[in-house]
Amino acid sequence: MADTRNKQGSGKARAIYASKERQDEWMQAIADRLGRPRITEMPQHPFRGAPDFWRAYDLQQEERINLFMNNWTNLGGHAFRMSSMEEVGRFLLDFVRETGAQKLLMQRQPELMGLGLAEALHDVECTVWDSSAEEMIDEAAQADIGVVVVDHAAAYTGTIVVLSSPDKGRSTSLLPRALVAVVPASAIEASLGPILKGLDARPKDQLPAGVHFITGPSRSSDIENDLTIGVHGPGIVYALVVG
Amino acid sequence: MAETAGSSVKARSKQALQDDFLRKAVKFTTERLKNGKRKATEEHGNWEEWRERGRQIRLHTIAHLDYYLNLFADNARKAGAQVYFARDAAEAAVITREIVREKQARSVVKSKSMVTEELHINHVLEEMDVAAIETDLGEYIIQLAHEPPSHIIIPAIHKNKQQIAEVLSEVAGERLEPDTQVLAGFVRRKLREQFLAAEIGMTGCNFAIAETGSIVIFENEGNARMCSTLPKTQITFMGMERIIPSFEDLEVMATLLPRSATGQKLTAYMSAITGPRRTADGDGPEELHIIIIDNGRSRQLGDPDFQELLNCIRCGACLNVCPVYRHIGGHSYGSVYSGPIGAVLTPALMEDPSEWQDIAYASSLCGACWEACPVKIPLHDMLVYLRNRKVESGTTPTAEQVMFKGFNYMMSDHRRMERFLRLGKVGQKFVARDGYIRIKGPLKGWTNYRDLPEIPKQSFRDRWKELQVEIAQQPRPKTMIQDIEQRMRKVLEERSKGGGSGGGHQE
Ligand code: SF4
Repeated sequence: MADTRNKQGSGKARAIYASKERQDEWMQAIADRLGRPRITEMPQHPFRGAPDFWRAYDLQQEERINLFMNNWTNLGGHAFRMSSMEEVGRFLLDFVRETGAQKLLMQRQPELMGLGLAEALHDVECTVWDSSAEEMIDEAAQADIGVVVVDHAAAYTGTIVVLSSPDKGRSTSLLPRALVAVVPASAIEASLGPILKGLDARPKDQLPAGVHFITGPSRSSDIENDLTIGVHGPGIVYALVVG
Repeated sequence: MAETAGSSVKARSKQALQDDFLRKAVKFTTERLKNGKRKATEEHGNWEEWRERGRQIRLHTIAHLDYYLNLFADNARKAGAQVYFARDAAEAAVITREIVREKQARSVVKSKSMVTEELHINHVLEEMDVAAIETDLGEYIIQLAHEPPSHIIIPAIHKNKQQIAEVLSEVAGERLEPDTQVLAGFVRRKLREQFLAAEIGMTGCNFAIAETGSIVIFENEGNARMCSTLPKTQITFMGMERIIPSFEDLEVMATLLPRSATGQKLTAYMSAITGPRRTADGDGPEELHIIIIDNGRSRQLGDPDFQELLNCIRCGACLNVCPVYRHIGGHSYGSVYSGPIGAVLTPALMEDPSEWQDIAYASSLCGACWEACPVKIPLHDMLVYLRNRKVESGTTPTAEQVMFKGFNYMMSDHRRMERFLRLGKVGQKFVARDGYIRIKGPLKGWTNYRDLPEIPKQSFRDRWKELQVEIAQQPRPKTMIQDIEQRMRKVLEERSKGGGSGGGHQE
């Protein structure tokens, strides 16, 4: 394909690889190799998703909460049950004071903004995610603590799920040393299944750019198979189950 | 690949075997991963049902790959991604170069991706004088040491703490203690700067969801999230076979992959990325380029013996159970993909496979890889096909051809093979020195790599009479070297008198 490189003058040389013709050519080549005409209608997929026995898997809410908290703890995270957002607020104040944290970053979520942390912590920098601000990533990189309200959680794997949006930066759950995740009890599903099905069911233009499933602290075993936590993402992770 | 293709697996593994630490490290780690997997799959229950479901989903997707790949590309574009189809490494390089030039990138942060290894993307960047920084802890270490990865999941498995401390101290400009926390802490700080400065982030892709156009990345450290969140431009490389139809199907893959790879219920991060950042978002890449790679994969489509290779989810479970891999380590395979999957995949991806077929011999055909595989790829059958094809195409050295006739006898029946392996265990006691089997004659190359799997002594005792009868009745394979055979016979005789080594454990 020596000629492709000469097309630079007429725009992007790589356009040829992104073209509809190229795509069609590929699909036809696949069909040819498979020895049948091209398939353009959605095929029957009898094995879609989890096996049947697993679809039936469910837990009562209390069981979900317990299993989620157990799993989160076993992963090296910390889990607390709280009755209200006020308790979450008190926890955060204590946490900031006792750790001497200098900077806290939280998502622009009404539950968090209602905590009045900025007023209560005058000597600590309290930033709310602002997608119109220039330096949000740097803010996040400097933050000691990131605070988020999760969109979903799965008990069976001990997973929290956060969806990106203009009010919810992806960096908030990633860059600070410590992550505090507020988990509404009603958001905890028994397994990943319902959460994933929910993503399938969304209208395509409403899928967020980033859907992040987080299961415990950042970890690595790359040095002599020794477990290290917090190697890139937060090493200290709290799950505060509310309700 | 040219630089490694020249020397044979034999030569490379010889080097590996001499490296005592490597051998121990590989064993130690694979053992742990294997145990972790066993625990995770037992705990989970119904493993066979999950495996079967995983296999069915992969079979279905590959059988309709034109439909699903097309759907993926269309949906990814709708979500705002730019999608390319690259036939080989050269085409991928053209696309990459152009994007890098357009962005005037000076540095690129990369998360672990076997595909970029396969395409030698780092080399492409190097030629452009652009820094390509591997950000996975293990990959970062081996990059600094100028070494290739030796395991799919744990790339720096062959280096010990002291060696790592030496490598990192050089970068730090001060002496770092060989302490895991210290070393990892240094890398965290060092790489943070790089993440924030890089113009481009590059990632691989574990699965691509056809119905939504999303790419899904599994990882534990968070560096793939960094690469896909902080730089303004993201380039994702994906093999054309990475597709699954829906998020619902992802539940099955998310059940199989982490449990098989590391014994985790789920990796610390599983990220589904759909298009670049939305206009009003505050972070995430402004541009997302997805480069879909063939590079030999389509050759397996429609090949009855090898099509199932495309089902592979790159979990590394087959490496961890492979007695050969555990003995010789990843580098001996001399290719990007090592272990049983590498032994089959590497030649299968090549235009001229004859060059690589010798790695098909770096396997004991014990079937452990098939048992471990979460999508049930019959790797051991494929190894036999490969060896057959090699003999047929006449690229096998004569001595090997003779020996291979004998192999055929054994390989034509798995159970027979198993029996000989059991016999081998007995013979091994006599020929093994320093833990390796040393044999003269045509079997030499083969047995050098062969460390036989642990065989419960009980089951051997139960069956040894049967074996004896079979050996007496059947024409002897030419592969059995006379003196080993003699020794084996002697052991069997001693055993029949009630002697031999006692104890033994049961599984
Ligand atoms: S062949 Fe099977 S066990 Fe080996 S890496 Fe692929 S999926 Fe995993």
